[in-house]
Amino acid sequence: MSVYESPMVPATETTTPLLQIRDLSVNYGGIQALQEISLVINAGEVVTLIGANGAGKSTTLRTISRLLHPRHGEIIYDNRDITKLRPDEVVRLGIAQSAEGRRMLTRLSVMDNLLLGAYTRTNRAEIQADIEQQFGRFPRLKERSKQLAGTLSGGEQQMLAIARALMSRPRLLLLDEPSLGLAPLIVREIFAIIRELHASGVTILLVEQNAQLALQNADRGYVMEAGRITINGLAADLINDDRVRKAYLGDVPPPVKLPPRAAPEEKNGLFGLR
Amino acid sequence: MNTTLILQQFLNGLAIGSVYAIFALGYTLVFSILRVINFAHGAIFTLGAYFTYMLLGARFGFNGVFANLALPFSLPFPLALLVGALLSGLVGVVVERLAFRPLRTRGADPLLTLVSSLGVAVALVNLIQYLVGAEIYTYPPRVLGSLPAAVNFGTSTLPVPVRTVQIIIFAVSMVIVVLLTYLINGTKIGKALQAVSEDATTASLLGIDTDRLILFTFFLSGFLGGVAGTLVGLSVSINGPYFGISYGLKGLAVIVLGGLGDIPGAVLAGFLIGLVESFVPAQYVAYKDAVAFALLFAMLLFRPQGLLGRAVVQKV
Repeated sequence: MSVYESPMVPATETTTPLLQIRDLSVNYGGIQALQEISLVINAGEVVTLIGANGAGKSTTLRTISRLLHPRHGEIIYDNRDITKLRPDEVVRLGIAQSAEGRRMLTRLSVMDNLLLGAYTRTNRAEIQADIEQQFGRFPRLKERSKQLAGTLSGGEQQMLAIARALMSRPRLLLLDEPSLGLAPLIVREIFAIIRELHASGVTILLVEQNAQLALQNADRGYVMEAGRITINGLAADLINDDRVRKAYLGDVPPPVKLPPRAAPEEKNGLFGLR
Repeated sequence: MNTTLILQQFLNGLAIGSVYAIFALGYTLVFSILRVINFAHGAIFTLGAYFTYMLLGARFGFNGVFANLALPFSLPFPLALLVGALLSGLVGVVVERLAFRPLRTRGADPLLTLVSSLGVAVALVNLIQYLVGAEIYTYPPRVLGSLPAAVNFGTSTLPVPVRTVQIIIFAVSMVIVVLLTYLINGTKIGKALQAVSEDATTASLLGIDTDRLILFTFFLSGFLGGVAGTLVGLSVSINGPYFGISYGLKGLAVIVLGGLGDIPGAVLAGFLIGLVESFVPAQYVAYKDAVAFALLFAMLLFRPQGLLGRAVVQKV
């Protein structure tokens, strides 16, 4: 019954993964929102989770952050089972989430939002240095540091949401729909930042509805459908995968004529859901 | 009403209003975090008054388990007030653990939590009656030490005497309002409280332990209730175990008037009700309590968002 497939780890990978999800099932609002999903994120990777609305992408992130309780399965982070921890303990271990809808603390200033992002830390000098670093990365936040976060534009709020998540110095950053509701120009800016974070070594799990953009900026991807992971592989492969193209990329012909795929075993047993 | 009387009533109104303010802040803190009214707050107010009475080394009356008992020591009033308030804060913590958290972790409807807190209120009031009876307790006069009974705010020809007790009430309340404002706006834990108040989920994603913060909020709330109970007890005696109930209802009027969960609004509304009440003419003094509720009624009709009328922030 399970469409579970062993997560694809590059053959050269010998270290243990930073995050490993095994057979995770979550019930949410009376339905089975996640059905035995398994995925792996190695240190330094950008992994994306794509799929339609309601496929379970945000549920996956919310479960990793311990906002939701799994019915079954485990989440191993840095060789440690975090399945039973509290949300704040997960943050202390180094997993930060920039949640869907940006979740600003609207009545607090930009600066206070950033400081609360560093709530788990105590070294003031380091926190101050990190705030300067975020201001360097997002100059517009610096200009608006005293403004209430609720007065920022959508793009600025998204920048603040990412900057705030980074303030806890996460080893794993969970980004939920960073492009949602933003103008194309701003989206490009946000993804430039994501690439920059990737280059600086931050491990990222990126949830996106904009599959094209997500796959262009990720190392690997997982496709979710109705609470299951149905396809996974290298982002560069997924972007040319017929099923992915048909379902999520608007079914336009590939931009580059590629030879037929040479490694069909990567997708064994996963046809037929569309 | 002549000028001196007006001035005198104004000062009295400020004093009682400042107590309403800190008492209402106790409600408003919990409400702003949990969106639930803690009906046990009035009972904690009463308890606080008794705690201080006990810590002053005063003897209990003829009824109840503690009949004729007194502590073997006697704390000076400022210390008794502080320790009494700390004990009240601990009661607040116990109330959260027993009546709020179990329901919260099960995802219960806020209405059930409200009923649960009402149950705690009844239990606490009955416990008080069981322990110390239903007598009226008055703080021993030595509380004031060598301070005069009243201070003249007028001249020798036109005296405007105000009871020293009222001045103490006002001073203590103001110190607390200032400290609380600093705590909420100037400290990390205060910012975290604001974060939990606006969006508890986001707060927990930032690494804030929301349960611990809620516990802290109940401690603060209980502390404020204990101080308010002591101050009112000092001013007008402890009127038995049900003493806190009418203040509890008035406190509700204050927070609705100020806008639920709005801290500056609660302070302003406390003063407003205190002042308006103190100008009720002597022959109608029996209707004094009606004033707060008349104001409340008018407020709900014309300005349901509260005095300072902060519009509800819509989440996008």
